Amino acid sequence: MGPRSKDLSLLQVENNVEDDADDVIDDASEEEESESEQEDVKLMEPSKTAIYNREGLVEKLEDISWPENVDWMHKLCLDIDQEKEVDVNDDLARELAFYTQALEGTRLAFDKFQSMGLPFLRPPDYYAEMVKTDAHMQKVKGKLLAQKRQIEEAEERRKAREAKRIAKEVQAEKLKERAKQKKQEIEEVKKWRKQRQQSGFKDGKDSMPDLGFEDGKAFERSSKKRPGVSPGDRSGGKAKQGGGKGNNKNKKNREFRDSKFGFGGKKGMKKQNTAETTNDFRAFNKGGAAGNKKRKR
Amino acid sequence: MGKKRKHSETQTAEPRKKDEGAPERPKRTLMGWKDKDEVNQQTESSPDSPQVFRNKEKVMVTCSRRINYRYRHLMLNMVSLLPHCKKDNKVESRSSKGATLNELIELRGCSSALFFECRKHQDLYMWMARCPNGPSVKFLVNAVHTMEELKLTGNHLKGSRPLLTFSSNFEKDAHWKLLKEMIIQIFGTPKEHRKSKPYHDHVFVFSIVDDHIWFRNYQKSVPHNESDKMVRGLDKMTLVEVGPRFCLNPIKIFAGSFGGPTLYENPFYVSPNQIRALEKRKKAGKYAKKVKAKTRRKMHEQSNPLEPDEFADMWRE
Repeated sequence: MGPRSKDLSLLQVENNVEDDADDVIDDASEEEESESEQEDVKLMEPSKTAIYNREGLVEKLEDISWPENVDWMHKLCLDIDQEKEVDVNDDLARELAFYTQALEGTRLAFDKFQSMGLPFLRPPDYYAEMVKTDAHMQKVKGKLLAQKRQIEEAEERRKAREAKRIAKEVQAEKLKERAKQKKQEIEEVKKWRKQRQQSGFKDGKDSMPDLGFEDGKAFERSSKKRPGVSPGDRSGGKAKQGGGKGNNKNKKNREFRDSKFGFGGKKGMKKQNTAETTNDFRAFNKGGAAGNKKRKR
Repeated sequence: MGKKRKHSETQTAEPRKKDEGAPERPKRTLMGWKDKDEVNQQTESSPDSPQVFRNKEKVMVTCSRRINYRYRHLMLNMVSLLPHCKKDNKVESRSSKGATLNELIELRGCSSALFFECRKHQDLYMWMARCPNGPSVKFLVNAVHTMEELKLTGNHLKGSRPLLTFSSNFEKDAHWKLLKEMIIQIFGTPKEHRKSKPYHDHVFVFSIVDDHIWFRNYQKSVPHNESDKMVRGLDKMTLVEVGPRFCLNPIKIFAGSFGGPTLYENPFYVSPNQIRALEKRKKAGKYAKKVKAKTRRKMHEQSNPLEPDEFADMWRE
């Protein structure tokens, strides 16, 4: 129980205290709790039993390291200065720091390579095995295109919504205008009539209101592009059309049947022949069925 | 048999000349009876000899049994990133790990190893070790994203030599310096390796943030029509992320390979088991706390009785 209880007291997950990172052993300084993706919790105080054998580390380092005079070309390693501390939990800042580190490194390396006269970047026509297969890259491309398409569609939908709203407003404006115009004209006619009444129907040319008839303008067709169709018509103007030919025929039949059989009467016998009506062919299509029935129409 | 192969690879010129005169001598100097001598000679003689230094690093990559699919993919990604590695079969983890692994490494003739150990199908530990008697490190791996994720869109030549960049934190302390050296030797592709490709089109980023080593792999991409004019191309260079992403938390550094005296122990390391146990304990205590809070409230009410309310009888019928 002993060590476990000690751990519990040390691992206080809720507190947030300042971090004093570098000095590892001696400090009993308390730590800022940090969580990486898998809930990696740090100890509040550095564990007292941690071993740090500096001499041993340095010795091993000397053991394994390559000799001093090794060409930089073998190591290809670069040290990039990290100016400011990056907060681990701020994803964007952290990734940005990594990105700038890589970019810096590339630039330095490029300068070195240029000075040594060695090729650096891959020429575009060099084809060789890549670390990800072509099939995989196709999938990546598909996904990128799908994303782009989604964004575009969302944009278009938004624009359509906006345009509709604006169009509605404009339409409302126009209707208002028209109503106003109509009202005005009626008012004017009324005024003119009143004037005429007052002046006792004199019929003088001056009293004619300026209705614009004498302007010399011929009778203009209304600028409505689709006469007969009201602007608020949502059927596209097709509501009134159509069925003219069929209608006539049906009407004739219908009228005849009505006259022959009347309205009401015994159920079921309405449309059946009686003795008198058996030979009555008025309702049938005259000459329409002429010709050989067997011939395909 | 392995020894013979090594004999042909080491390019020291003198023994060959001695061959006609004393056929036995060369064998004794180069192919020592003991493994240790030979390996030492390999690592020592090549840099010290007047010839050029040749990086003969070979890394053995293995994993333990019962490894998760995600971590297995990560291991396969590492295999494709390091052309100087040899992938080996899964190792049984129950037996004494250190000895078995050391034997395996020597059997395959490698000088370092990357061992991925997965525990409870959840936690991944990575061991980086130098074979003969070098130091070894155990890391806890977090935040794994493999190359197969569609959001990582870059691609680079398989086997091209990477550019390694380190943040300046690596110089701050002895253990970081040691880790940096090991990383350079393991992750850097040897020059003129058989499977390496000529150009340098990707960058590795190792940086220390919050006492963890973060790894990123970027592809250098330059817009195509500019790539002839190198300098101008460099201004427009963008980096696209390619490769796996992970975050290493160093646990311990040992003096020997997969064992030996501990040189460094991370004082802030908490094992994932402990974290999970802590979570469970927190949840388990909820009911007990509630009951305690209730009894506390009752005691408090009893010890401090309220004054009788003057309006209590107002609405009584």
